[in-house]
Amino acid sequence: MRAYVPFAAFCLSVATAAGAANLVELREPAKIADSFSARAPVRVVNVWATWCVPCVEEMNDLRTISNTFGTQVSLLGISLDDMIPGDRNATKRKVSDFLDKKRITYTNIYYRGNSDALGDKLRFNGEIPITIVYDRTGREVWRQQGKLDREKAIAQIRKMLGGK
Amino acid sequence: MMKKVLTIALMFLAVAALADELAIGAKAPAFSLANAVDGKTYAFTPGDGKISVVFFTCNQCPYAKAFEPRLIAIAKQYASKGVTFYAIDSNDEARYAEESLANMKDRAVNKGYPYPYLKDNDSSIAHAYGAKVTPHVYVIDQKGTLRYRGYVDDSARPEERTKTGLTDALDALLANKTVANTETRAFGCTIKWKS
Repeated sequence: MRAYVPFAAFCLSVATAAGAANLVELREPAKIADSFSARAPVRVVNVWATWCVPCVEEMNDLRTISNTFGTQVSLLGISLDDMIPGDRNATKRKVSDFLDKKRITYTNIYYRGNSDALGDKLRFNGEIPITIVYDRTGREVWRQQGKLDREKAIAQIRKMLGGK
Repeated sequence: MMKKVLTIALMFLAVAALADELAIGAKAPAFSLANAVDGKTYAFTPGDGKISVVFFTCNQCPYAKAFEPRLIAIAKQYASKGVTFYAIDSNDEARYAEESLANMKDRAVNKGYPYPYLKDNDSSIAHAYGAKVTPHVYVIDQKGTLRYRGYVDDSARPEERTKTGLTDALDALLANKTVANTETRAFGCTIKWKS
């Protein structure tokens, strides 16, 4: 019996590691804001896809931002991988595996709604990646279309946090 | 009051963001590019009396690939109505080998493209049209005026398609009617510009 305990612990650790990604499905752009942490004074949305080269390239920078500011910044990814026709479950697994591999733990939305509706909500022209920074009230403060300039983003967030 | 000012400011910003794209009603840029399939040069002279579709695509983008069957079907359907299609790859082959002329030829032949697949070596034609992504579609009328730009459809999943941008524009022009929805939002992979 004793021999099974380490084995069970091993299985649990593997399962936890494999399922670390925080990925939720969403169809309605109006509900995006519900995924932000209510307490965070700064909210950041990043729209991306695994098939988008600059999106993949900036993932490490987004993880750094998330780790640097902790609960002060609520970072939210929105994956557009579902836009490519195919098996949804397989695509969702691919996104989840990618997030695990990149050690991304902040919430990501697996967006299943209409792309136009998302573009209207976030007011962008469809070119990804795009990163948008909002304050606590939902007012947009800064945005960058194309690959993220990490230092500029960090400087903007520090400014919003009062230089902290 | 403050809300109104903010709304107007945001609208202004949104328009400014699109400002570098070729405007609806503008004369379409001409081009003369090599076709990857037969090596011949294809020239597009706006105002040649034909309705033309110029679209930017590439070999590597999954979203462009997702729309490929649809574009092929539309091109075949509208060729009989006198519409000419030009597919352009503006990605930098020096940085992305998949975009070479040889690979373009392979793709065009394997997929049976019913249109030339043209190489925009220095990305200058994509810049001239203000294309940002693949696929990005432009419809030009018989006089050479841009009448539609944006997406093929609002979804690459046929079962979730609610709007058909390209065919709506073509049907309107073929019926001598005004294109109702002249600008739509083209999602896709960023063009890999020649630097």
